[in-house]
Amino acid sequence: MPSIDDVVDSPDELDDETAQELYENADRTQDMMGEVCPYPQVEAKKGLQDLESGDLLVQETDHVPCTENVPKAVGDDAEATVWRSGDGVYRIYLRKN
Amino acid sequence: MVSQLLVAAVVGLGIGACLQKGRFCFVNAFRDLFAYKDTRVTKGVIAAVLVTMVFWGTAYQFGYFQGFWTPGWGLTGLVGGFVFGIGMTYAGACASGTLYRAGEGYVQYWLTLLFMGVGYVAFVVAFPTLQSTYFASLTFGEGVSLFEISPVPAGLLAIGVAVVATLVYATVLGRQYSGNERATAASARPATIVGTPIVGLQRLAAGTRAYFAGVRQAWANPVAASKRPWDPRSAALGISVFALIWFTTVSIVGVTGPEARWSGYVLSLAGVDAGSFTYWGSVLFRGAGVGVTVDMVMIAFLVLGSALAAYWSGDFSLRMPRKRRLPNAVLGGFAMGAGSRLAPGCNIGNIYSGLAELSVHSFIATVGIVAGVYVMTHWIYREVGCAI
Repeated sequence: MPSIDDVVDSPDELDDETAQELYENADRTQDMMGEVCPYPQVEAKKGLQDLESGDLLVQETDHVPCTENVPKAVGDDAEATVWRSGDGVYRIYLRKN
Repeated sequence: MVSQLLVAAVVGLGIGACLQKGRFCFVNAFRDLFAYKDTRVTKGVIAAVLVTMVFWGTAYQFGYFQGFWTPGWGLTGLVGGFVFGIGMTYAGACASGTLYRAGEGYVQYWLTLLFMGVGYVAFVVAFPTLQSTYFASLTFGEGVSLFEISPVPAGLLAIGVAVVATLVYATVLGRQYSGNERATAASARPATIVGTPIVGLQRLAAGTRAYFAGVRQAWANPVAASKRPWDPRSAALGISVFALIWFTTVSIVGVTGPEARWSGYVLSLAGVDAGSFTYWGSVLFRGAGVGVTVDMVMIAFLVLGSALAAYWSGDFSLRMPRKRRLPNAVLGGFAMGAGSRLAPGCNIGNIYSGLAELSVHSFIATVGIVAGVYVMTHWIYREVGCAI
């Protein structure tokens, strides 16, 4: 029996507190406010290249589709979680594998 | 007239909301397929085209329609489609994507819209020359919809095409799945002509079951679900229903045609005699005078529908663009505006409506648009590489 996760494969969401704590301790942050697709995808792939395994890259963006397609773009290179502020700002957390 | 305006409002609001909730983006559908083999939105686009094709074919067969949009076919579809595909990939949004994001509050896409307008105006000015050179030499035949010329009733033809498309898709899916399985479990099941589509159909059925399980789960808490992002396939179904209402009462769904009419209308308000230009006067407004047509009203409501859906979902905000993204809005918008007239037709007119109405011109234009996306995706991804 297929699970619901087979179709709804958007990344897990973080609560406000965890999101803020992780953001402060990120190994690299990328300001993607005002950017459009697919530049955040390309920047995420480039940004992960010289990080160590276990390092955290966080992108802050106001572009809704990025919350899904940035995690898709990095694929197996990183584990992704997202945070939604509720007023049009999003953070994408990429933990390098 | 009042009833048509009401239909325009309902259909515009509905399609706008579905586009926003499903993040229904044609650039995403093809770009992410080429860049890293993500087919999530591609599936939504294919579902929308096939469902709409069956709806429209059936409606046409029983006489519930107003007319098809079938421009003459030839290489204009390939050339204009290619320019449009390059433009939409660089801009980061297709014609419909630009509209729904304009509704979400992206100043970037207001600029893109503005420069699409510049593209329309440039085309209109150049039209007399283009007509005698470009269109005269590259248009080979009268436009036609296969629904009109097929001896098979349109509804059956649509179902037939949908079944064939599903089988082709199942074969691709089956081959992919068998390939993965061989790679991981080394269970070498021989791929056969019959076996591969069956594996694919099983996967398709499993995917569909999981999709409906998801929909059922969403229904348990409809208010929360309405605020969450939707599966693109749900958006596809919604769009198809509104497109059927539009098809039976007004026409096929188009975006850049009405936008180009808006450009003429706005300039006429500013004192320009838009009607004296051949393209606005005789082609777009068909000699009926420059004014507001019902499809122009529909796309205005589309922007509003997206804005309301975004506000409801917490996705609305006034987003300021980056300076370094201005070339994307200016050049991408211009290429989309001009390309959509050179083809003619945008991703909605050709890939969505055009394929759904089986228009010969749109088959060619779709190839052009997808080729444009392919080339531009490879250029943008040149530093990190594409999967396909």
